[in-house]
Amino acid sequence: MRRDLTAAAVALRVGAGQAMAGWTVLAGRCLFYVLIMTVLSALWDKVAAEPARGAIALPAGGLVLYVLATEWITLSLPAVHMRFEDDIRSGGLEPHLLRPKFYLLQSLAQSLGGTLVRLAALGGTAVVWLAVTGRQGPPAATYPYLFVLGVLAVTVGMLLYAVAGLCAFWTRRILPVQLVIQKLMFLLGGLFAPISLYPDWLRKLAEATPFAAHLYWAGVQALAPSGAMFLTAAAWQVLWIVLLSLLCLALWRAGLAKVLREGGV
Amino acid sequence: MSAVITVKSLSKAYRYARRRGGFFEAFSPEHVTIEAVAGVDFEIARGERVAIIGPNGAGKSTTLKMLSGILEPSGGEASVLGLTPWRERKALAYKIGVVFGQRSQLWGELPARESFTLLRHIYDQEAAPFAKRLGELTERFALTDLLDQPVHRMSLGQRMRCEITASLLHGPGLLFLDEPTIGLDVTAKAAIRDFIREHARDHGQTVLLTSHDTRDIELVCDRVIVVNQGRIVVDQPTDQLRRRFLGRKIITFQSAGQGVSLNLPGVTRRLSEAHATILEVDTKLTRVEQVIAAAMADGGIEDVTIEDPPMEEVIADIYASTHAT
Repeated sequence: MRRDLTAAAVALRVGAGQAMAGWTVLAGRCLFYVLIMTVLSALWDKVAAEPARGAIALPAGGLVLYVLATEWITLSLPAVHMRFEDDIRSGGLEPHLLRPKFYLLQSLAQSLGGTLVRLAALGGTAVVWLAVTGRQGPPAATYPYLFVLGVLAVTVGMLLYAVAGLCAFWTRRILPVQLVIQKLMFLLGGLFAPISLYPDWLRKLAEATPFAAHLYWAGVQALAPSGAMFLTAAAWQVLWIVLLSLLCLALWRAGLAKVLREGGV
Repeated sequence: MSAVITVKSLSKAYRYARRRGGFFEAFSPEHVTIEAVAGVDFEIARGERVAIIGPNGAGKSTTLKMLSGILEPSGGEASVLGLTPWRERKALAYKIGVVFGQRSQLWGELPARESFTLLRHIYDQEAAPFAKRLGELTERFALTDLLDQPVHRMSLGQRMRCEITASLLHGPGLLFLDEPTIGLDVTAKAAIRDFIREHARDHGQTVLLTSHDTRDIELVCDRVIVVNQGRIVVDQPTDQLRRRFLGRKIITFQSAGQGVSLNLPGVTRRLSEAHATILEVDTKLTRVEQVIAAAMADGGIEDVTIEDPPMEEVIADIYASTHAT
């Protein structure tokens, strides 16, 4: 077990190294983040300045900080689903099965390594963007808490996409599954607006989903930081990391049994 | 010598759904079973270098997959280094090295050195012996200038040298090679063959190789197992097989004028094209240099190409002869 974790830690370091070596791509993501935030902040500033009659009351300070956090997480995610699909569909899985270490753990660790680098780079970009645009960010003391929620959030997102990728054992092409997960992240995760704006029954439902654990909880912490909110958010995220890990494991075992029996998908 | 691989009545059947025409028939597909490997038996001793050859779909890759543990058989038994591959895949992985000519086991975006370091941890290798082995392989394969280059920027020949290095870094006693020279140029093929043969000989390593290239078999392996339609049709030393079946060459002469016409024993003319004469030579009866010398004496020869008969022809010969006996 210790050796498995050591190998996973090396894979994580390799993934981080890969993300840093591709610094032009990383810089592109940061620029795209700035572009998105420029557009979305203009939108939410206008909505906050000119509330329409009958509109839902927005949280104080508008939603710019919320969107800043959710986009930070979204743009940090790895394309682990595409890697799984490619390996499973092309037979590229075979060399990995001939190794003594667990492919799923190694792949996820490597993806997480790259994700952490992106999370740090995009986080830095967010702080600079706030300073340049003269906007008030969350108190500096909350940054470590936000980073913890950010790491947990990308882990939930990565595992959701891993579930989509592992479906390739049965569907070969995972685009339909990926689209469903993406739309649910958008709707139930609250990508552009917090799910607290939804009707009460829908909010309660959405809060309990992995999609909220992926985006919403880190977003509200950026908007209105509090110790109690942090603990609630972290608890939901850890719960979903455990459940999604178990789901990934179950899918992997069933898929692997199929490949070992049938020689491919 | 002790057996490294023992295979008894090993078989593998694939079942798949074949769709029939019509809307309602699509919901009740017909199931078809294909027997890829049909009860093969063989043993391979420690230090032997064995080729499994056969036409496409003969069952050689399926056999290799079962012996390496990534495919469960439908029936029969196999023991590889004392382990049952499909039940003890992880334990076996520490003891075998595998190279797929058509699939990379390295990480494309990473420099080769990083891939090798990751493999060290994947195979739980101590730093010192690993560094020693990597140093030896780097020197033998002239990899020094390649170690810091991302794998996806390497030529196929360079990549294959790194692939073989990667498969040997944990010091396996048994090496599985699936089409290791496919797509390589003549020089790269020669380098790979020399290395595999010498490394196996120097380290007492057992090699099981599949290939369509008869030169891989002739230059690397001392025994050949020929499979066709899932069954072993020939299992004998390479020397004997070469004498029986590989003792033919195809020589093509390009000439400006009339085609080449020779009357030598064991030389037969194949269907030729304008300005190109294709001869099949039985080298037991007439040596290749004799044929070329005779043709050159006629004059007008612009180019000469010497090839082995296509593998399919060799297999067809073998299959025909096994049916005849």
